[in-house]
Amino acid sequence: MSNSVFSVLSRFVEEYRSSTPNKLKMIDAYLLYILLTGVFQFLYCVLVGTFPFNSFLSGFIACVGSFILAVCLRIQINPQNKGDFLTVSPERAFADFLFAHTVLHLVVVNFVG
Amino acid sequence: MAHLCLFSLLVLSLVIKTQTLTPSHHLTTSDVARLQAVLSQPLTDLKSAYYSVVGLSKLGIFVADADETCRFIKSNLDPSSVESLFYAAEASQALSGCEISVSNDTRDLLLATVSEDSTASQIHQSVSALSSLGLPLASQEVVSALKARISKEDNVLAIVLALQTASRLSQQAELGDILEEIEDLAARLDDLGGLYLQFEEGLEATALFVSAAYALSDHVDMEPPLKEDQVIQLVNSIFSKKSWDSLSEAFSVASAAAALSNNRFHVPVIVSAQGPAAVSHSHPFLQLQVTDVLCQPLTSATVLVESASAVTSKSAILSQAPFTLRDGVFELNFMDNQPASGYYQFSVVIAGDSRFVANHVELKVKVSTRVAINNMDLSVVDKDQSIGPKTTRVEYPTKAKASFMADSHQNFAMTFQLVDETTGVELTPHQTFVRLHNQKTGQEVVFVAEPDSKNLYKFELDTAERKTEFDSISGTYALYLMVGDATLENPILWNVADVVLKFLDEEAPSTIQAKTLYTPKPEIQHLFREPEKKPPTVVSNTFTALVLSPFLLLLILWFKLGANISNFTLSPSTILFHIGHAAMLGLMYVYWTHLNMFQTLKYLAIIGSLTFLAGNRMLAQKAVKRLERK
Repeated sequence: MSNSVFSVLSRFVEEYRSSTPNKLKMIDAYLLYILLTGVFQFLYCVLVGTFPFNSFLSGFIACVGSFILAVCLRIQINPQNKGDFLTVSPERAFADFLFAHTVLHLVVVNFVG
Repeated sequence: MAHLCLFSLLVLSLVIKTQTLTPSHHLTTSDVARLQAVLSQPLTDLKSAYYSVVGLSKLGIFVADADETCRFIKSNLDPSSVESLFYAAEASQALSGCEISVSNDTRDLLLATVSEDSTASQIHQSVSALSSLGLPLASQEVVSALKARISKEDNVLAIVLALQTASRLSQQAELGDILEEIEDLAARLDDLGGLYLQFEEGLEATALFVSAAYALSDHVDMEPPLKEDQVIQLVNSIFSKKSWDSLSEAFSVASAAAALSNNRFHVPVIVSAQGPAAVSHSHPFLQLQVTDVLCQPLTSATVLVESASAVTSKSAILSQAPFTLRDGVFELNFMDNQPASGYYQFSVVIAGDSRFVANHVELKVKVSTRVAINNMDLSVVDKDQSIGPKTTRVEYPTKAKASFMADSHQNFAMTFQLVDETTGVELTPHQTFVRLHNQKTGQEVVFVAEPDSKNLYKFELDTAERKTEFDSISGTYALYLMVGDATLENPILWNVADVVLKFLDEEAPSTIQAKTLYTPKPEIQHLFREPEKKPPTVVSNTFTALVLSPFLLLLILWFKLGANISNFTLSPSTILFHIGHAAMLGLMYVYWTHLNMFQTLKYLAIIGSLTFLAGNRMLAQKAVKRLERK
């Protein structure tokens, strides 16, 4: 059982390394960074306490929001998905990404106190 | 005579109002004296001379130096002014031997003023001047002029002056219409709480109305259409003010007082008890003063007690008993009827003149007596009744020689009787208290002694039961008996005996705590909201570093993946875009530290639009380049 899981995983990693374009890999690195940041914030909250709660919330929401936006960007940029996004060019996706991030940052900074 | 009218409003307030009102305000001697003083002020001009001289004459007082005043009047007279002639004529008539010579022109001026074109006040002044100077006038003309003025000037003062003028005319003139104005004016009076009747124009108008109405009614010999209650309400209004703002106000009050004390129809009667309405064996006479509104005694009246009954038992004591007049005061020896002590309701009638108004008066009279204590027996009784009680008799006002001992097995008892000193009737006063006072600690406990059905007072002290009142403090207590009542002339405070009380279980604190109710309490320090407990700085710093560490990881990964900025074109839009973007991030930081949402949005709009334009340009160029590459 564990054997098959391991083999699936290694296969997946190989495929990933070989077939993913560099741009997407960069975005994936960014996603990993966001994820780790969120995890560490959550860990702090669990271990030490929820004071100040609003700051924790804003930081965590920032992580979650950024993750989602980056995922959206990755989907839209992926050349394999071009059929689904005929009207959206990669530049347009990036511009949307920036705009959405501006709004997210505004809200987060308002809430962080 | 001057001290007969005493300030007795308080007594009159005891008067219960039946169907007829009795005056609640009236002038006392001091008030009349004050009125005189106001009217006797030194003369400044002709108007004040008129008010002073005529006002004082209405009070029955004549000016001291008549000649001086007459000269003053003559020198201040202005023969071309109707008003001046009026003041001079009226004042000179009030003085004896003061004649004002009148020329034909003056007379013509006065007669010419009697017309529809002059105001009611001018007509009043000219008619009064003509009448005082003894000059003839045409009454019918005056009447028609007055009627015309009344319909034109509908105010209260004008109609009052018309009434006053009509009283100076001949009796043959048709004064019927003007007489009816009294009733109309009376309807315009404001009723205040059923006690006062006055015009909204004020006290002066009301007082002048009263004097004018009675002057005219006397002149035509017809009773004014004022009911008794209305007359009393007018009395209350006019005489409720005891200090007057102006000479004219004082004059109007004096005229009203003179009119009400001496007219043919209504004379309000003021009845007041001299001193408190109380009788006792030492003061057996109930004394009443019966006067008119000017505080002059009505010696022609006969005062009769219609009925007198006890307030509590409602049994009648007196019926149709007359008062005797002695030195201007009506008195009755009430103690002859041997009344028991208490309060009695008297209904008094003042007869003798059909003009008397408010001549039924209700009075509450108190009969006081002296109390004596009989058969004061003190005893200490064992609870289990094994040992018979030893009673000691104590006579008032001596104190028992031996002190009494009582501990938790014994009861201390006291019995006594309270009787009227003179008649021997048993009394039940309102206050019969037994007070035990500990001399050492200053503590005192008060109990009430209750009478039984035979009016014998009993007091029992059960030491075990009552130990909480005493705080279980044993010691010598001085026993006092306190007897008091409104109808007792000799309230009693009698140290009867000393009682030594022994309590079990000395639970009492060794020192008596003074009641700390009124000492300052400990100060309350305000506790500010404590900030929440923060984790130690080490922990916070560690986690900050931990949270920031993935950024390093990101940079490493990007470097490994081969991220570069080789495609960075130095076109102005690119530079502008990057600068704008950096500015937006910087604005976020500044928003966090300094700004509020509105300011941020403002700056964001500016920077954002620039960045958007530049970015749009840049991305469009990139897209073109990408498509070219394809």
